[in-house]
Amino acid sequence: MRHIWVAAIALLLLALFPDAAQACPVCFDSSDENRRAFILTTAFLTLLPLGMVAGAGLWVRRRVRQIDEEAAGSDRS
Amino acid sequence: MATTSASYTLEQRPEPTARPKLLSNGVLGMLIFIFTEVMFFAGLVSAHTIVRSQAAGQLWPPYGQPRLPVPETAVNTAALLVSGIVLVLAWFAFRKDAVNARIPLLLSIMLGTFFVGFQGVEWVALLGEGLTMTSSTYGSFFYLIVGTHALHAVAALGGLGWAWLRLDRGLLTTSQLATVSAFWYFVVLVWPVLYLKVYL
Repeated sequence: MRHIWVAAIALLLLALFPDAAQACPVCFDSSDENRRAFILTTAFLTLLPLGMVAGAGLWVRRRVRQIDEEAAGSDRS
Repeated sequence: MATTSASYTLEQRPEPTARPKLLSNGVLGMLIFIFTEVMFFAGLVSAHTIVRSQAAGQLWPPYGQPRLPVPETAVNTAALLVSGIVLVLAWFAFRKDAVNARIPLLLSIMLGTFFVGFQGVEWVALLGEGLTMTSSTYGSFFYLIVGTHALHAVAALGGLGWAWLRLDRGLLTTSQLATVSAFWYFVVLVWPVLYLKVYL
């Protein structure tokens, strides 16, 4: 019960200081171009590995089905 | 009273059907390696994008820094792309008759070597103009990204050269050719992205 209270207070404190969190001079500045670059690269680096893994998974699935169909075809003949 | 029992014993179970391998071990290992390399280059490109967006006055290349040889490198890019296409032809020739792949594989290696050599000449000229690793973030990123790619190109050319020697001795297997080719395709396909990001 005590842990929940500590976590709730920590969350509340964090919620009160978003401006302080965004004040990092490396991550945010007044330039829109810079902000856009951060958003784009974050999206790019997040989606790229997911896309590659999904692509590999889809390819394996398709290939397995293809092999199974070929095997079923040769069994029938 | 007899108890219920299984309809068949363990020994009578049908054998599981063995599927053929989807990929050879070599190609699978190379693909995993390529995945990590894609993320590595993605990190470099992302860092470049961020630094470029922070350039003073949105001026890129920064004031006083030499311009990169864009048209000359476009020709070099074409040579690299043709090298990849010729390697595809070498693959099909190999599947028909291994001996037929000798000339296209050699041609692909020669085009790749031309690419790396031309990059070297370009670097010497840029160093002469004052663009170094320490002259600016522009220079740092140029040599880091293009240099890393060149290192990969040299390693991939080494792999292709090894494949050619094995082919010449009649020892090259389909899996070996597929493995080294996958690495070269990666080198070829990642370059246009780097060219667009770094040169333009």
